[in-house]
Amino acid sequence: MDTIQSILYGFTVALTLKNLAFAFIGVLLGTLVGVLPGIGPAAAISLLLPSTFHADPVSSMIMLCGLYYGTAYGGSTTSILVNIPGEAASIVTCFDGYQMARQGRAGPALGIAAFGSFIAGTIAVIGLMFLAPTLASFALKFGSPEYFSLMVMSITLVAYLSQRSVLKGMMMAALGLILSVVGLDPFTAKLRFTYNILVLRDGLGIVPVVMGLFGVSEVLLNVGTILNREVFRTRIKGLFPTRRDWTDSMMPITRGSLLGFFLGIVPGLGTIIPTFLSYGLEKRLSKHPEKFGTGTIEGVAAPESCNNAAATGNFVSMFSLGIPANAIMAILLGALTIYGLRPGPLLIKERPDLFWGVVASMYVGNAMLLVLNLPLIPMWVQILKVPYAILYPLILLFTLIGSYSLNNNVGDVIIMCVFGVVGFLMNKFQFEPAPLVLALVLGPMLEDNLRRSLLISGGSFTPFFTRPIAAAFLIVSLAILISPLLKLEKLRSLGVFRGS
Amino acid sequence: MIKADRWIGLLLALLSLYVCWESVRLGLGTYHRPGSGFFSFYAGIVLGALSLVLLCLALFRDLKAGEAWGGWRRILLVAMAMFGFTLLLERLGFLIITFVFVWFLLKVVERRGWAFSLGVAVLVAGASYAVFDLWLKAQLPAGLLGN
Repeated sequence: MDTIQSILYGFTVALTLKNLAFAFIGVLLGTLVGVLPGIGPAAAISLLLPSTFHADPVSSMIMLCGLYYGTAYGGSTTSILVNIPGEAASIVTCFDGYQMARQGRAGPALGIAAFGSFIAGTIAVIGLMFLAPTLASFALKFGSPEYFSLMVMSITLVAYLSQRSVLKGMMMAALGLILSVVGLDPFTAKLRFTYNILVLRDGLGIVPVVMGLFGVSEVLLNVGTILNREVFRTRIKGLFPTRRDWTDSMMPITRGSLLGFFLGIVPGLGTIIPTFLSYGLEKRLSKHPEKFGTGTIEGVAAPESCNNAAATGNFVSMFSLGIPANAIMAILLGALTIYGLRPGPLLIKERPDLFWGVVASMYVGNAMLLVLNLPLIPMWVQILKVPYAILYPLILLFTLIGSYSLNNNVGDVIIMCVFGVVGFLMNKFQFEPAPLVLALVLGPMLEDNLRRSLLISGGSFTPFFTRPIAAAFLIVSLAILISPLLKLEKLRSLGVFRGS
Repeated sequence: MIKADRWIGLLLALLSLYVCWESVRLGLGTYHRPGSGFFSFYAGIVLGALSLVLLCLALFRDLKAGEAWGGWRRILLVAMAMFGFTLLLERLGFLIITFVFVWFLLKVVERRGWAFSLGVAVLVAGASYAVFDLWLKAQLPAGLLGN
């Protein structure tokens, strides 16, 4: 009953004219970002962040969250029509979506992607609505050791799930922790690693760092490569899937939604890995797996539902525990802190307007996306034809002005530019920015909880191992850390390596 | 694993050494009362250990050549334009530097025509002045035009 009352209260927040407008801007921009290859949700949110500092936190969060789940809708359009994923979570949609377009079935592919996304988004919001408050109540029992262990587990998971190299992921997490100590030590008021540079006294700002690592570096990467964006020339007709399409897609949408939501909760999995798992699962369960990759509607319905549900699932740990599941949630967590809020298990109780307002806005936003997207597809197709040479000067200009307007300080712009180049080099040398960003955001909390635990226990590490929840998190972290070694041993025993 | 990993491993190992040294200087404290350098010291140790693992693996494994580095000229020019914008923003002012920045990217980097690049630069500078300065009231430096 409580939940029903709370969500009704949420609707009173979300349905005000101002918040409806913010949700609309968020989902519209999200779709645009999803449609455009070369700019992802992390870059877009960090670009938009400075403009929200003077607005109401609830409206701002409604807009930024809308942008995030809106991206999952837009990505499918580019995947289906151009065979380039508009954003990473739509890679799998290219496999069958583009083939469907080639066979003259672009309409049903776009249609089922939109309807599937709507159904998945709605299912996932229901999950978020029930799960986040429960998890937050449970987390109220957490003390410093539990929080420390939970954060260690989150960082380890994100680093472990790096797509390129676990070792490099761990290195970036360690580097992020080092960068997080820059600035004033809250315990002793000593300046650390600031070198008399004024802008570093308050620490490395998360916003300029993220704008650099995701926004600027993406532009630099794209400037170096030529994106071939030839939109598939076909008449898009019959966006409403047929009865047969629905029969074929219903179970994949349901499975994709559930899988996406639950995997989205796990830190580090983000939205990309679940879509691959969902596609694999459908192929495995299908009576005609050989048709996957040739333009089967299940191959579009499942991953498109999955990425939307995962995007919403990502919010669970952020709202209930204050622990971000991926780099984008880390940015949103940073935003909450900038708005003067305290992310953590008390957030839902202290600011019900924020949590329930955002949750209710997700229902509204999903409906807006469904109503908006199908009629707007011709407009997205036109936008796809805008050359990147025109777009990137604008993107760069927004990042430069955005970072300056944070504190009216050139120092922030320099930090952003430096991290832009660093992000570019990281990408070229196959390092991922996500573990670094997560560690940078969680670093101060991690240090605070570690030092507090040690102060309380008189310098003993035993609470980390004797308190069951803390110990469980650390055991999971340890298992994650040693699993690559076990896998190596298994491969060695199978004689995979030369000479063994 | 790519060839550059040897140098990256070495570089990050040296960085972690510096972090540990600086952390000791800040004061490690004790386990009872951790000092300012306590956390960064251990983070530095972790980074150092992992960097050495990367270095060792890169020394003893067959390495790939790594990604191709195409479009160098354009990347360098865009980076220069960004840093130029940053350094000249307060001196020249937001409106002038925005115009120069967009014109430079379109004319010099993208090699578009004079009329097109000048036209778009004027349009973007005007539109961003209207949005950021007049509408959002972001206090952007007026620079030369302020005098």
